[in-house]
Amino acid sequence: MSSPFEPPQLFNIPLHLIPLHSSHDAGLSLNLFGGSGCPRDRYAAPPKQLLPSMRQHLQTTRQTKDHVKADQYLWELGNFPILPLRTRTRGPAYTLPALPPNTADIDVAPDSESYDCVDEILSLFRANVLFRNFEINGPADRMLIYGTLFVSECLGKVKPTMTARDAEKALINAALDNFAVPGDVSFPLNQAFEPPRDRQDAESLRQYISQVRQEIAVRLHARLYPGGEGPSKFWLSFTKRKFMGKSL
Amino acid sequence: MLLLDYQNVLIQSLLTERFSGAPPASIDQVVSDFDGVTFHLSTPESKTKILISINVKCFKELVQYGAQEVLEREYGPYIVNPEPGYDFSVQVDLENLPAEEEAREELIMKLALLKRNAMAAPFERAFDEFTKLAEEASQYTSESAPQGVKEGGDVMAIHYREEEAIYIKASWDRVTVIFSTVFREETDRIFGKVFLQEFVDARRRVVTLQNAPQVLFRSDPPLELEGVPGLNNTGEGEISYVTFGMDHYAGDILDIHSITDQSYVVLFPRHLTPQRRYENISHIQTFRDYFHYHIKASKAYIHTRMRKRTADFLQVLNRARPENEERERKTASGRTFRVQS
Amino acid sequence: MASQTPAVVMDNGTGYSKLGFAGNDSPSFVFPTAIATKAGAGSAGSSGARPAVANKPSFLSGGGGGSSHLSAKRGTEDLDFFIGDEALAAGSGPGYGVNYPIRHGQIENWDYMERFWSNSIFKYLRVEPEDHYFLLTEPPLNPPENRENTAEIMFESFNCAGLYIAVQAVLALAASWTSSKVTDRSLTGTVIDSGDGVTHVIPVAEGYVIGSSIKSIPIAGRDITYFVQSLLRDRGEPDSSLKTAEKVKEEYCYVSPDIVKEFARYDREPDRLLKHTVNSPNGRSVQIDIGYERFLAPEIFFNPEIYSSDFLTPLPNVVDGVIQSSPIDVRRGLYKNIVLSGGSTLYKDFGRRLQRDIRHLVDDRIRASEARSGGARSGGLDVAVVTHKRQRHGPWFGGSLLGQTPEFRSYCHTKAEYDEIGPSIVRRFALLGGPGSS
Repeated sequence: MSSPFEPPQLFNIPLHLIPLHSSHDAGLSLNLFGGSGCPRDRYAAPPKQLLPSMRQHLQTTRQTKDHVKADQYLWELGNFPILPLRTRTRGPAYTLPALPPNTADIDVAPDSESYDCVDEILSLFRANVLFRNFEINGPADRMLIYGTLFVSECLGKVKPTMTARDAEKALINAALDNFAVPGDVSFPLNQAFEPPRDRQDAESLRQYISQVRQEIAVRLHARLYPGGEGPSKFWLSFTKRKFMGKSL
Repeated sequence: MLLLDYQNVLIQSLLTERFSGAPPASIDQVVSDFDGVTFHLSTPESKTKILISINVKCFKELVQYGAQEVLEREYGPYIVNPEPGYDFSVQVDLENLPAEEEAREELIMKLALLKRNAMAAPFERAFDEFTKLAEEASQYTSESAPQGVKEGGDVMAIHYREEEAIYIKASWDRVTVIFSTVFREETDRIFGKVFLQEFVDARRRVVTLQNAPQVLFRSDPPLELEGVPGLNNTGEGEISYVTFGMDHYAGDILDIHSITDQSYVVLFPRHLTPQRRYENISHIQTFRDYFHYHIKASKAYIHTRMRKRTADFLQVLNRARPENEERERKTASGRTFRVQS
Repeated sequence: MASQTPAVVMDNGTGYSKLGFAGNDSPSFVFPTAIATKAGAGSAGSSGARPAVANKPSFLSGGGGGSSHLSAKRGTEDLDFFIGDEALAAGSGPGYGVNYPIRHGQIENWDYMERFWSNSIFKYLRVEPEDHYFLLTEPPLNPPENRENTAEIMFESFNCAGLYIAVQAVLALAASWTSSKVTDRSLTGTVIDSGDGVTHVIPVAEGYVIGSSIKSIPIAGRDITYFVQSLLRDRGEPDSSLKTAEKVKEEYCYVSPDIVKEFARYDREPDRLLKHTVNSPNGRSVQIDIGYERFLAPEIFFNPEIYSSDFLTPLPNVVDGVIQSSPIDVRRGLYKNIVLSGGSTLYKDFGRRLQRDIRHLVDDRIRASEARSGGARSGGLDVAVVTHKRQRHGPWFGGSLLGQTPEFRSYCHTKAEYDEIGPSIVRRFALLGGPGSS
């Protein structure tokens, strides 16, 4: 019989009624420095772990090794961290030792003294770019955000038909192109980034970011064209994803 | 879906999957079919050897009427010793299948028709007997026929269900198949009566059905069954007897259609060919299940209408709310008044 | 064996129906719970159309003879329907419309369901319902009226010999008894049932569902398929149809312990990237690459954020929340016996990841409360996720297991009892497989 009885609407509760944890809930958000107890103060002791990683890391047995010495953590311009880089480009960054010969970029262990923030940006990129929410818990997170967005931009420059040489050119151009730094009107992330104090700081910041961009471009190219062949469609498939819904 | 299949769908689909070259897997399934038939599909020896066993309630009777021969004819090389607890077993080896697609499909169908073939024996025997008797009878006029020819063969009884049986009798001008069927449910009995009466009436009424087998329906044992032991002849109406008389011109029997709130019979006259005989056997075997299926389908149909009607009534009830009740209202100054409708 | 016919076990779900006989280890038939009827004709129960009635009763008009064939064609709409895969096939052609009588686990259209059952029983299972006992399933919190409707159909239309209606989640718990991990056959546990449309987390205490704590998650098999499809499209694979995505999902996906590490692993071991050949019906075959979707797709259970923008709670947190909202005296049992059920829980290492994540949540909470209490030590809490071989059709298999026990029939309501008392009889069933039964 078609009874007048209406079954309770258990199974079609509108989504918004299902209690969600707020994205600021420590268990949910991409929280980064291992929760409580980590120094966050800007010029206080350096953070235990240089760069944030994703939530699973907190749950796995990832060892939080102090792979960045206190004296390597230089300073911030605005609130953009100036982190050491393994690079041959000239600039304000503290330079980490080059990799031993015959070591590829992807093989750098996180506890190696050559491991830098670009390594971490690139290894986290494919996972991070899938996420829309990201909570900034320390200055180093801003590096991760900027880097991730720049990787996205780079991927957009590489067309599936490009040869390794063409792509290299396109990437270097992208890195050297006129770009905005925090504080500029055209910088898209000014909500999260503070402008540098004065013009001199701004100039240093520009030089440093340029270093980062070039280093990302070079190392991304190596990943896109493993063994000189490519571009890897598995990397290019992330072109359309927008980290936090933003782009540079 | 008007007709029930003759083959067991599960055996068919299972074998089709196995035969198609899917990776071998072990099987152990007990499957029921109509009339208390139980199949057991298993792979006792190795994953490529599928054993299919059948348990039929009336297997002993069927053997009496030549089931073993029919099954041997159909399944010859595949027969193995019956599995304990079952009456008959066949085994196919997946590594040793016919090469051609068509032959495989034929084999699948044949295996899926295991029940049909096991039950076919008495029908085949009756048809053979009929042919023989008809030949003999053609030498005589109906008056001068000797005793044996006129009377026809013995009545073969198959007690395929606890309380129900099929009786088959061949005579010189026809094969008579009688179903005794029981309705435990009163409603079903009434439905059944309507259905069966329709069988009888439809043939009389519709010109195109004149070639259909003769159908009789009654609630006391028909004459043909005189002297058959074990008949419940209380005449209480719980048991009904349906008789099909099949002669040369008998068409493809019984497509009962349950429609709206009644039923009738549609028959397609065909020519007498071996294929038709084969079909007729399949057809008539499923008669009972078919019959019960349609009774249930009719009930479902009636329920649909009842639900609809209830919904309509509810609608009426919902509409039957009292008009806005008259109630006193107050003005700002505190006086009361009534709204004039 | 022949003396007692096996019980018929029917698990009708929103997406698929599982039919078979008790005692078997897998259902005989699994097909979509769909029915295709002649569009515009027949009895559209909910659409308000009246069932077709032959204009004239044909026993009055049939005497004309010639017209009878026509009227036969007009009069059989109620039997002109298909169910299961045949329904989908018929529905893709002209003339038939496909209907799904079950919505959100509950039967919504009884007309269709009655015919669906009738066809299931007679055409597929090929049994005479009068000869068999039936075990049906229902979703948790199924209103008793629905049970009564079911009983009406089973007893009055089909005259089935006996009937038992069990809750799917409870059957899923029973199905886990086959796992070697399970030592005591308890009916206390948390069932995670993930099918095609929705995932439920259902706490069950001693055979009774704790209705107030049930949570559903709008992420299930279909979403994983969509996500695979979007990943295939992003990569520009030559074939990214839904069907291909489903195939990829079923054949290649697994759960990784940590997606960042998994990405690095793919860089180091390029042979983890696979190839898949799609054979289209027109004989063409295309090869597509299989990449990160292998572990990213099931990841949406653990990080819904990467797929959905409105639902963000990971499955482990939902499970933890469900157990925390259950009565305190059963929580230990609920954590100890988390049972998976349904096709979308079959990914390799799904159970391991879930167990690890829930354990982390629990351990964190214990540590925090230990710290707050100032020195008290907790005895710890055992979290165990049970995976077993019969997970895919868990409820059906549980039904098959319980339906073959010798005492099953004594738990059923029989036709005679129904005739005596009426449909309300099915409001109560003794707990099958509960304490006191073997």
